[in-house]
Amino acid sequence: MKRMIVKTLLGGAFAATAAISAALAADKVVYQLDWLPGGDKAPIYVCIQTGFCAEEGLEVTIEGGRGSSEAITKLATGVSDIGSAGIGALMSAKAGEGVPVTAVMSLFNKGPHAFYALVGSGVEKIEDVKGRSVATSPFTESNIYLPLVLQDMSMAETDITLTKADPGALGPMLMTGATDVIIAWLTDVSRYTGQAKEAGKELVIFPWSAAGLELYSASLVASDKFLKERPDVARRFIEAYKKSIAFAYENPKEAAEAVAAAVPELSVENVEGSLKDAMVLVFNEVTEKDGLGAFEPERLKATWERVSKAQGLDPTALDPESIVDRSFAAGS
Amino acid sequence: MSTAVPAIRFSSIGQVFRTGSGTLEALRGIDMTVGRHEFVAVLGPSGCGKSTLLRLTSGLIRPTSGTVEVFGHPVSEPRDDIGIVFQKPTLLPWATVEDNIVFPARHKTGRVGGDDREKGRVLIARVGLQGFGKQLPAELSGGMQQRVGIARALFMNPDILLMDEPFSALDALTREEMGFELLRIWEAQPKTVMFITHSIGEAVLLADRVLVMSERPGHIVENLRIELPRPRGIDTSNNKAMHDYVGYLRGLLLKRAA
Amino acid sequence: MTMSDTSEASSLSVRPERSETRRQVMARAIRAPGVLPAATFVLILLVWEASCRVFAIPSFILPAPTRVLGGFGAVDTARWLEHVWATLRVAMTGYFLSIAISLPLSIMLSRSEILSRAIYPILVVIQATPVVAIAPVIIVALGSGDLPRVVITCLITFFPLVVSTTTGLMATPPELIELSRSLRAPVFREITQIRLPYAVPYLFSALKISITLAIIGAVVAEFVAAEKGLGYYIQFSTSMFQVQQAWAGLIVLVLLSLILFQIVTAIQRFWFPWSLPGDRT
Repeated sequence: MKRMIVKTLLGGAFAATAAISAALAADKVVYQLDWLPGGDKAPIYVCIQTGFCAEEGLEVTIEGGRGSSEAITKLATGVSDIGSAGIGALMSAKAGEGVPVTAVMSLFNKGPHAFYALVGSGVEKIEDVKGRSVATSPFTESNIYLPLVLQDMSMAETDITLTKADPGALGPMLMTGATDVIIAWLTDVSRYTGQAKEAGKELVIFPWSAAGLELYSASLVASDKFLKERPDVARRFIEAYKKSIAFAYENPKEAAEAVAAAVPELSVENVEGSLKDAMVLVFNEVTEKDGLGAFEPERLKATWERVSKAQGLDPTALDPESIVDRSFAAGS
Repeated sequence: MSTAVPAIRFSSIGQVFRTGSGTLEALRGIDMTVGRHEFVAVLGPSGCGKSTLLRLTSGLIRPTSGTVEVFGHPVSEPRDDIGIVFQKPTLLPWATVEDNIVFPARHKTGRVGGDDREKGRVLIARVGLQGFGKQLPAELSGGMQQRVGIARALFMNPDILLMDEPFSALDALTREEMGFELLRIWEAQPKTVMFITHSIGEAVLLADRVLVMSERPGHIVENLRIELPRPRGIDTSNNKAMHDYVGYLRGLLLKRAA
Repeated sequence: MTMSDTSEASSLSVRPERSETRRQVMARAIRAPGVLPAATFVLILLVWEASCRVFAIPSFILPAPTRVLGGFGAVDTARWLEHVWATLRVAMTGYFLSIAISLPLSIMLSRSEILSRAIYPILVVIQATPVVAIAPVIIVALGSGDLPRVVITCLITFFPLVVSTTTGLMATPPELIELSRSLRAPVFREITQIRLPYAVPYLFSALKISITLAIIGAVVAEFVAAEKGLGYYIQFSTSMFQVQQAWAGLIVLVLLSLILFQIVTAIQRFWFPWSLPGDRT
């Protein structure tokens, strides 16, 4: 009896010690967001809340962000280890300054950019934006690609009347008729649909891929220091992250709850909507062909061609292969 | 007045101020003395440099030429044995009457002792403000505020009291009342007083002697001894001799102005 | 302050010589402090709610008061307090830092004309630079954390403090300065016992302006970079299409501003009643 108690106590002590040492041993990873938290950022919250990260022995903290350029700067300066950012922003940063940041996995294999219009406004196909008033927000990446999209449709910027407004004002402007068309991301489809519904209107959406804009956009990017000094941690993180994406895709409601639990300002419905919208850019016919997270050389090359052309960069200034490292995400 | 050393002596004082656009001659060739415990009024038009006389005496400014002596010693720096009463009471609005009166002690030494407080209470009584010690200046009338100003000037127990049109901001009745009040205080504890005014009646009523100044550059054009009996009061105002003095001075000033 | 003054004056002038009519009673009740503004406020809310319902205004354009009320429930009290605390912490740190810089600077400016001529143009240049425009630069230069936000708050609040305090220090009656000099008192006592107290009314009018500016500064900084705070909350809610949540945040922000303003006013009223204009004659 007495021996048993001692044994139990000892066992308990061992278990506790093991738990503590496991916690101590957990590798700390700082994850960089490229924008405010939301449904499109669900996988990282899933990773933390459901324990995928902990299973891989990782202790992940999240660093807020305001745009891809800022996120890349923070990764380059060592504020954070790995995170999400637009690959276009990474390409131009690489071409310009050679920042020590590398893309390890694609997240969105299509551009999220789109025109939104109201049903009955006369905009029935993407070419109908000609001669219309178009509103966009001042700092969106979409603005860079707009000339290319118009060019593909044999239009010039003078063929539309472009105005810039706060992102929060775009929806109301469209619903009240202050503008015919807005430029917004496909990750916000459900939010704009909600607004349209409240105003008694219906939306019609034209993704720019329909106008030939086929490219990678949001990607998982990491600091070179992190990849070089802790490659094993990076591999384990990406493994956990992939599991989290798959989980979020299959269980959008649970994933949304994970985000809302971490960010109480967000409602579950709001997150679930934008999560589902975002997943269309992650899982689609391109994913079926190339696999999740892939950087297919031809598509990557096409992306750089688009980026360099849109930003007026020398196409030979960068070898697009030099900004990616596929080895960390290998295995699926 | 027969004492060898006068309280104040001005010898060939000239005063020139530099201004933005050039120079301004305020005083020219001022020679005068004020005897110990004498009450001298200085009368003259606005801007004739009357106030400059006070500031020279207190050592706040130095003359351009000539010398100023106080009790036989040349004035070379500000003196704290001279009390000044300004045209406006300029009390500290945040301090009580009592604190305003003992302010010179607090300001000079950084603290107020028990004897300073006692002195303050005596002065409050002397200027007729019993019961008002804890009031703030804003709670007092203009005349009462100026009484506080006089008490503050008396606090350092100066031999010389310089008064720069002290009652000019008051209404006529209060002004006359304050004049008698000042005489009462002065007679109770004699001081040398230099009293700037542009009221002829006030000058004659209060002073032993009236100095009349010219317009700029100011110099002394008349030195008139007022032989009215003391103590002076309401009756003095109706005195025939008083009217003669006033009439003479008014004629003098009007003639000069013309 | 003006409200209570007028009500005081009127209650003094109204003498109950005979029994009051109902109209007089009503009139007096309306004049009681706070009744009129409260009534106006309620009326505005009613009109607002009614127009939202009658004209079926979508909530993303203007949410009805009842929906804004719902916006308060989006996060729990603890979370609200975290946001309020984050904004308050930055605003107050910036505010007090600003005071700590402004006071000595004002004293220096008021004492030396050369210094004044050398520094004043620089101050004007700083003030003329829109803080919103340089906020991102400051954030980049000073990194994350409270420091850049505090600096932004400081930049936005210190100018009125310096200008107003300097004016106050210079507005001391020259007679008192002469009195001080004739007493041959040390200069620091001229400053502490005469000039600074004389500057108190000016200082407080600047303190009142700056306390609301401090909140604005903190919010501007949070718009640019923050993970907490009311400014962040409002921006976040707007970009997530949660307009009623943004309105709730805005209301909390306004209340915070008003409370802080009232605290400054109360401090002046309690400790420096003589510095209030027109209270006594």
